[in-house]
Amino acid sequence: MDTFGLLAAGFAAALQWQNLIYAFIGVTLGTAVGVLPGIGPALTVALLLPVTYRLDPAGSLIMFAGIYYGGMYGGSTTSILLNTPGESASIVTALEGNKMARKGRGGPALATAAIGSFVAGLIATLAMAFVAPWLVRIAISFGPADYFALMVLAFVTVSAAFGDSALRGVTALFIGLGLGVIGIDLQTGQARLAFGIPDLLDGIEVTTLAVALFAIGETLVVAAARGSLDDEVVAVKGSVWMTLEDWKRSWPAWLRGTLIGFPIGAMPAGGAEIGTFFSYAAERRLTKHPEEFGNGAIEGVAGPEAANNASAAGTLMPLLTLGLPTTATAAIMLAGFQQFGLQPGPLLFTNNAPLVWALIASLLVANFMLLVLNLPLIGLWVRLLTVPKPWLYAGILLFATLGTLGANGAMSGNLFGIRFSFELMMLLGFGILGFVLRRFGYPIAPVVIGLILGPLSEQQLRRALAISQGDPLVLIQSPLAISLYVIAAAAVLIPLWFRLRGKGEVFSQLAADED
Amino acid sequence: MTTGSNPQRRPDGAAFVIALILAGIAVVIFWQTSIMRLPVHQARVGPQVFPYAIAAGLLLLAIGTAVSAWRGSFPARPPENYGPALWIVGGLLGQILLVSSLGFSLASGVLVACTARAFGKGPMWFTFLCGAVFAFIVWFIFARGLQLSLPAGPLERLIP
Amino acid sequence: MNKLLLAALVSGAMAVPAFAADYTIMAPAAPGGGWDQTARSIQEALTAEGISGNVQVTNVPGAGGTIGLAQFATQDSGNANALIVGGYVMVGAILTNASPVTLDNITPIARLIGESDVIVVPANSELQSMDDLVAKLKADPGSVSWAGGSAGGVDHIIAGLVAKAVGVDPTQVNYIAYSGGGEALAAVLGGQVTVGISGYGEFESQIAAGELRALAMSGENEMDGIPTLSETGVDVTVENWRMIAAAPDITDEQKAAITADIKKMAESATWKSILETKGWVDMYLDGDAFDTQLDADIASTTTVLKDIGLVQ
Repeated sequence: MDTFGLLAAGFAAALQWQNLIYAFIGVTLGTAVGVLPGIGPALTVALLLPVTYRLDPAGSLIMFAGIYYGGMYGGSTTSILLNTPGESASIVTALEGNKMARKGRGGPALATAAIGSFVAGLIATLAMAFVAPWLVRIAISFGPADYFALMVLAFVTVSAAFGDSALRGVTALFIGLGLGVIGIDLQTGQARLAFGIPDLLDGIEVTTLAVALFAIGETLVVAAARGSLDDEVVAVKGSVWMTLEDWKRSWPAWLRGTLIGFPIGAMPAGGAEIGTFFSYAAERRLTKHPEEFGNGAIEGVAGPEAANNASAAGTLMPLLTLGLPTTATAAIMLAGFQQFGLQPGPLLFTNNAPLVWALIASLLVANFMLLVLNLPLIGLWVRLLTVPKPWLYAGILLFATLGTLGANGAMSGNLFGIRFSFELMMLLGFGILGFVLRRFGYPIAPVVIGLILGPLSEQQLRRALAISQGDPLVLIQSPLAISLYVIAAAAVLIPLWFRLRGKGEVFSQLAADED
Repeated sequence: MTTGSNPQRRPDGAAFVIALILAGIAVVIFWQTSIMRLPVHQARVGPQVFPYAIAAGLLLLAIGTAVSAWRGSFPARPPENYGPALWIVGGLLGQILLVSSLGFSLASGVLVACTARAFGKGPMWFTFLCGAVFAFIVWFIFARGLQLSLPAGPLERLIP
Repeated sequence: MNKLLLAALVSGAMAVPAFAADYTIMAPAAPGGGWDQTARSIQEALTAEGISGNVQVTNVPGAGGTIGLAQFATQDSGNANALIVGGYVMVGAILTNASPVTLDNITPIARLIGESDVIVVPANSELQSMDDLVAKLKADPGSVSWAGGSAGGVDHIIAGLVAKAVGVDPTQVNYIAYSGGGEALAAVLGGQVTVGISGYGEFESQIAAGELRALAMSGENEMDGIPTLSETGVDVTVENWRMIAAAPDITDEQKAAITADIKKMAESATWKSILETKGWVDMYLDGDAFDTQLDADIASTTTVLKDIGLVQ
């Protein structure tokens, strides 16, 4: 059978009415757990996976696809509405999305995220079905030197998230880089900056830092500003639906985000969040409304959300064709696939063709189901903002601590004989850090970005040099690396050149407009 | 390097403290990295290179922050109102220290009560009760329904 | 309604036979990881077979399992209902992290399952056999880059043992650490490194598809026609096993009761079918035989980690 025939057979399996109900239950459960602040997709999938075991293979597969997409989408809802991303991939969404929500434009922000996720999921899943083996070959040819070049490019584009002061932006980035050094060095097995504390040996968990800086920090900021600021959040102003203008500005961003996120997700060491950084930087450079960036630009939500979902589908390619999990969520999914009798690997498409195509069809159905479920719910989600603040923020803190305890319940701290969770103490410490940083006008996102990019770039650089036995020329020998360095140089030099030609007003105006 | 919005342009004491803290972190990284045990086989870029580079960067940023503080170019801060923030920090501390003995529900009740107090909602016995009941329901769903390991206390152990 | 619920709960509690112990199993890893899956499989088998009425799994991740181990040894001392999952990885982690709590501080019950490491090269590699690899290693140790899991882990230990067995200075092994076998797999497939070394499960499907060529297995038995290291003339035998252990300071009777329960579980149909779906190899071993094996593993690991220079 050709690809289309197989896909049609997959759809025939997925579209049976009881499977549609399973998809609906999966999407609902995934969204319901994923929407809780502090509980990211990895934990959501891990928690809900056992629920699917009781069904037949086709049913469990489709419910699982629903949970996966539901969890991914649910995370962005709280990012946008409450500025509390549950994982690193939706941090960028919070940057513009929360600004929109504060102005009463939470509805359009959620809508562009939902439709963008759908469009990206649709394109990326179809792309996966047709080009997977071919694209995975290219992704594998990426060596450590190429990854290092990619990280350099990522560092260059991070400045898009810096806000109004380069000094404070770079400082925030370096705080993140410093945190990234903590723990056992992967290459030598030696502890760095762990101060003899066993809990620090594994390094700082990105999720803990992100949830603390955003959710706890945000709560503290809102509490400290009580009564002294006219920072009242407007739940809904105007329509909860996207205007024609919103559509016009969103669709190119969706497509660009998909184009950026999909290949990065397919890379064995890419990671979903890096695609969202690139997408945000690209939208910021290409926008016709630069003055809105930092104040709630819809492209800044549409692009990264599409990139996030496209890279989630991209992640499935190395997972299915190589058995290679590239994210925490993917590692849990691998365990799930094995449970369903799927053996991911190069022989999967020949040995398990019906199940694989049923999975791909399930993903498409779940993706569609997600849109059907969530678009009508947007009006309801936006109501979250009208929950009285004491209950709303108490709930955020409750779920943030629950997510942290659930992922790491070690009671390894000891204070005057009282045992406590060291991870929760770190959550509190970083929360206070987030509060202080915000108070002094430091941006938050670069701290998390530094924690992600620092260890990645260091490991890739040292791997490249170890393999070449210390020859630094290896870093600039591959054409891929060279092209990435050229793009990075262009990203720095072109804005400079424009500025020198007197077109810098846009930038200074941009800086002045931000808070 | 910075675009300020503080009209008086007076030296900013708090920002100086930040500069000092950054410099302090840089010194700690230098010191800890210098006393770290090294593997026998030395690579060209070993485990010390990145920490040293980051520490050097932080030191430069500390100097930049000090200059910026001297020129008073940090953005104006809203009037300080630390009371509510302290309530929340206290609530979190309470939950962290109580959760292993009292269990998730009661400890979270303390957190909820303190948070509600920070936002001006009371009385605390009432918010504590609401919080504990809600946390108990959440605990039941996650710990029993989804097998998430969450600390149990006297209240949770009532359910077999 | 409430009364009904209460009645259901009470009758549920009564239905559990009095002799069945209620176990709590600690998985010293995050949800979804290998030890977590092992713990939850044991939970499933114990309850499905009616060996235990109620089994709870707790996750205490961190530092190669040593954080969970430390918490288990101090907080569950003397508790005959507390169990912990562990494995060979823990042996290395205790040494490299200089953990104050060791396996001597708990009561190992039985080895349950194991996995052999496999040494692979890309299909187009010039290395055809283990002999070719040994020759290249002897000629220039630095020219052989090994991709595997984190430094000081099982993969690194085996690479060091292989070097030592063929008379090459283990500190000269050019070991490239990747976070997890998946990333190492990509590096081998992409031809970034000379050889890959990781659990058989990580490479199995690629070997079957002919993308990778397996040179040797680290374990005792050959598998799918792949020779063991000792068969190729390299005297190294290491299995990456997983075990179950009980709390310290339990009585001999309690230890015997737990061992009986675990033995019953390991011989049950439920457990066999779990092994089947997960692709785990049954390596059940208990009593004195297991203790002897454990001591031997700890001794050889300590030596090699010192040789590599990871432990002083």
